[in-house]
Amino acid sequence: MGAYFARRFLLMIPTFLGITFMVFLITRFVPGGPIEQMVLQLEQGGGKGGETGAAATAGAAQNTGRGSRIPPEVMAELNKKFGFDKPVPVAYAHWLWDVVRLDLGKSYKYDTPVIDLVTARFPVSIYFGLIGFTLAYLVCIPLGVMKAIHHGSAFDLVSSVVVFVGYSIPGWALGTLLLVYFGGGSFWNLIPLGGFRSPGWEQMDWWNKITDQVHHTIAPVICFAIGSFATLTVLMKNSLMENLGQDYVRTAFAKGLPEKRVIFVHALRNSLIPVCTGLGHAIGIIMAGSYLIEFTFNINGLGLLGYNSVIERDYAVVMGVLVINTLLVLVGNMLSDVLYVVVDPRIRFS
Amino acid sequence: MSTAAKTSAHPNSPPPGVVVPESREESASVLVRRWRKFKSMKRGWYSFLILLSLYALSLLNPLLINQRALIVSHQGELRFPAVTEWFTDRLYAAKDLGQRAIGECNYRKLKEQYDAAGGDDWVLLAPYPFGPNESLMEELEGRPPHPPQQGHWLGTDDRGRDVFARLAYGFRISISFALLVVFLDYLIGVAAGATLGFFGGRVDFYGQRLVEIWAAIPFLYTVIIIESTLKPGLFMLAVLLALFGWVGISYYMRGEFYREKAKDYVAAAIAQGESRMSIMFTHILPNSLTPIISFAPFAIVGSITALVSLDFLGFGLQPPTPSWGELVNQGKQNIQDWHLVTFPLAALFATLMLVVFIGEAVREAFDPKTYSRLR
Repeated sequence: MGAYFARRFLLMIPTFLGITFMVFLITRFVPGGPIEQMVLQLEQGGGKGGETGAAATAGAAQNTGRGSRIPPEVMAELNKKFGFDKPVPVAYAHWLWDVVRLDLGKSYKYDTPVIDLVTARFPVSIYFGLIGFTLAYLVCIPLGVMKAIHHGSAFDLVSSVVVFVGYSIPGWALGTLLLVYFGGGSFWNLIPLGGFRSPGWEQMDWWNKITDQVHHTIAPVICFAIGSFATLTVLMKNSLMENLGQDYVRTAFAKGLPEKRVIFVHALRNSLIPVCTGLGHAIGIIMAGSYLIEFTFNINGLGLLGYNSVIERDYAVVMGVLVINTLLVLVGNMLSDVLYVVVDPRIRFS
Repeated sequence: MSTAAKTSAHPNSPPPGVVVPESREESASVLVRRWRKFKSMKRGWYSFLILLSLYALSLLNPLLINQRALIVSHQGELRFPAVTEWFTDRLYAAKDLGQRAIGECNYRKLKEQYDAAGGDDWVLLAPYPFGPNESLMEELEGRPPHPPQQGHWLGTDDRGRDVFARLAYGFRISISFALLVVFLDYLIGVAAGATLGFFGGRVDFYGQRLVEIWAAIPFLYTVIIIESTLKPGLFMLAVLLALFGWVGISYYMRGEFYREKAKDYVAAAIAQGESRMSIMFTHILPNSLTPIISFAPFAIVGSITALVSLDFLGFGLQPPTPSWGELVNQGKQNIQDWHLVTFPLAALFATLMLVVFIGEAVREAFDPKTYSRLR
């Protein structure tokens, strides 16, 4: 088993390299990259202090015609700053070496190290994602069990409708509906328009701090939870139904155990296996959801940071968020594999 | 087929509401029997009919929902502006039809003008005479987005364009796009899964590792990054989504090929000296259609959701393409205009619901799981 996990772990490396290299290539060859952004800024005379400010004045002095407004030496300097003077593999190797030392470069919009930006936003995303996911598990597992036990009953049919509805509404779509109807537009004013906390949260007393946080948490968390609500419920139900048809359940009944014990102790334990192993993949799902839901609710988490950096073409941040996202997905997949072995003693990897 | 055998193995528990006409027509093929079973499931079958007719209707959108008239009779000469624009992109200038205006003719005003003049000229407008990309700012009072009102029951968006027209055109684009993505998904997924499953061994081992790597790519974020830089059109966007969407179907196909290739008919085909391509695609593939067909509706749901989500984020189809997600995005920015969020999401919801109902019925017909509760 140790060898299996060692191999799984080693497999993460080419995966990581493949993904980052692909995106690195894209960010290098597209129009509107960091250099063009810089040049545009210089031409508008809007340099941002220090080195670039000097470059801007130099650029303005040379600003004679419509053709090459930026002097070649400034251009070369810019190219060097962003590593565009080296061939792609070398530049990628440099970037990778920096990443290994946890240096993700510097955001040219915020002028702060990317790693600081990412670590500041990361807890926000995880906060919403984890609460949402816990909520989903707390609702879906009992619901799936009830549906399986009362398969074909009125309760099963009615809850199936709810599941269908949940499956047909993406989380962010529910979010916009909540905002329009409960966010103080033309209807009720029950939830804030978004954000992680109210401005001035630091100055509140502890009771207001808590209520304000809860107030901002409810709507996004519901949206996170609905994303996995339908699939998780159906998975739980089918898994338990399958187990209820197994021979060991027949044996348990035959030896005279009460129905409750057979279902909740024997069958349920086995049917939780596929649900548990999904926990690892949850990390990837949380991340994917965070782009849409943080955008919807304007929450300053990792997803919104990534989104804004794409819009602003802040490529150091784009790559930084991608690195973190990829690592999280890989670790999550690995975790799922570990859970498989831990939860299900029948599985032996060799 | 294995699934048919599975069903008959549980004679005590036939799926509810299913009439299997096996005794009457023993010779009907598996596919025909399954098709009949699908038809017998009313919810899925009617959803299928509704969706199919709506889509067929939406293909005729330019004749139904269009600011350009269907027929204009001017000075004894017939013109067909809607059809002309549909097939040749040619527009009629206002002055050619006797309207005092610059630029393209406004056919609603032209009709009023002809009616008032009382001559032989006449205009036949489209049933819903507003276009998806036509700004109505000059004709409606107040600033856009206009709330729902007489004549524009779903209101207008922030550029004064009719929401119903945009929804109807958005439906056509969403469904067409989803069908295209699923087709491309299947093209890649079936080829990859078939190759891995058929050849097995080392091909399978290394292929699976590559597939795992590919599947670990953060799909949404990568698509956003590529979108923001390349700004692809509808077809390229479909290809892009398909590049990330084929992994699921390849797993199913790989499993099916592994199972099928061990069967006698494959051995017989090999003994006859048939080529590998022929064995894979004319012998095994037709016997491996079950997962393909029962997976398709859910792949369509995924593709529609992906397109609407990307449009919502502003990284979908290029403006001014009518799109549901773009309308919801406008609604998020103008939250007092409830109609901008409610109607597109109702359309999305209804469409996905229909597809899910179809999917449930298809799965029940093609891949029935009968659970027997012991005791």
